[in-house]
Amino acid sequence: MIATLSAVVLLAATPAAAPAAEDLARLTAANDLLTKQVALAKGKEFYLLLDPSDQTLHLMLKGALLQRYRVTGLEVGVPRVLYRTRADAADWEGRVWDGGRLDPARPLDRVEVQAPPPTREGTELEVKVPPTPEEKYPVPSRYHIRFAGGLSIEVRPPGTDSKRGLWERLTTGIGTWWADASAAVGSGPADTVRLHVVLSKEDAASLYRALPPATKLLVLPPG
Amino acid sequence: MIQDPFTLGEDTPPERRRWVSVVVPKPSRGRRLALLVGLVALAATVWIAAAGTGYAYSPAPTRAKVAVVDVPGDAAGAKRLQTKLQTQNKNLAAALKKMAPSGTYVVVDQTQNRLYVMKDDDVARTAVCSAGSGMVLKDSGGSRKWVFDTPRGVFKVRNKIANPIWKKPDWAFVEEGKPVPKNPADRFESGTLGKYALYLEDGYMIHGTLYTRLLGRSVTHGCIRLGPEDLQAVWDAAPIGTPVFIF
Repeated sequence: MIATLSAVVLLAATPAAAPAAEDLARLTAANDLLTKQVALAKGKEFYLLLDPSDQTLHLMLKGALLQRYRVTGLEVGVPRVLYRTRADAADWEGRVWDGGRLDPARPLDRVEVQAPPPTREGTELEVKVPPTPEEKYPVPSRYHIRFAGGLSIEVRPPGTDSKRGLWERLTTGIGTWWADASAAVGSGPADTVRLHVVLSKEDAASLYRALPPATKLLVLPPG
Repeated sequence: MIQDPFTLGEDTPPERRRWVSVVVPKPSRGRRLALLVGLVALAATVWIAAAGTGYAYSPAPTRAKVAVVDVPGDAAGAKRLQTKLQTQNKNLAAALKKMAPSGTYVVVDQTQNRLYVMKDDDVARTAVCSAGSGMVLKDSGGSRKWVFDTPRGVFKVRNKIANPIWKKPDWAFVEEGKPVPKNPADRFESGTLGKYALYLEDGYMIHGTLYTRLLGRSVTHGCIRLGPEDLQAVWDAAPIGTPVFIF
């Protein structure tokens, strides 16, 4: 990304005559984006960098790359009622979104153990072998990462529906429509902008299991 | 007077029960057709309305919006602005690069029990590890409790010890149902941490384990456990000062 933004500088620097207004605008936008990335890297929170040009979603902390997810598809969704759009999808790129949370939430079940009274010989606590992460955190076929301010990332692996039977696909389709319609119809739409991100099944599961709480998001504008 | 049959009680003699028969005229063929067309039209209207309600998706834009900038009217002013923006860009890019770790760093995915040795943003080694169980332990009196989580955040390898001796904390005795020793010498135990220990902060470590069959599961008291080969690889790759990112 730094290379891309630096390329903007070179591009802007090429003409010997007075720079074009468009070049200056691109340079200003690149600086604004870099400023936001520096601020994110200075913070204590984890953040996601979605780069549509590079088709990647990065989980970051302090400027360090923690996980790289390959994005095979990206669509932008806006709520509408009777074909009438209810929210403005502008300005979702290049903006920092806070407080990302999984929906449905990843379950956190803590086991509480009461220690036995101490004896000289001790007592062996009977601890069951815990489940693997795959067993512990079942991943829904479709989930959202919702951010404060109305942006939501909808993650759905490709071909999720193809392996199901007709009846299951029909009921899932109706359920999905109902959830979407309810979200769009409410007094204030639940998500003003939705980014439908297509990840591989493995990446979608990995992101769901591993996403830290209150993650931030920055969507990089196309380069 | 005709009494409504539905208001007659069970004790009403049968001869007093009188039923009102209602004859519903059979609709004509034309009316049936009109009814059918009406129902189909209603279904189609509901379908069309439903299709236009929800979320409308379109491909993500492939071109960035161009911001409007106040450009000075004269060429020299525009050039000065360009130079200023270029310098700013260079400084910001340098600041960002400086913040990102260079060379080797360690990443731990504590939920999925994976440890990655990273080299310049590329995965050099993936290891199956074990992280905190999330269990809550209460002592028998109920006055103290411990939560066995692996903390999230950025840490550094503060110290590296070969053949480490574990100084058992209070919870290790409480968990075993033994009294907490008064003599500090009774707390030391060798072999439990494996061949190496890389000390992070607040007592958290990356170390070996006697229970390799449990690797890949969240079973620890907060430390990161590795199998012997992976522990050797991390020991070799991560000098003191190496950043460790746990998420």
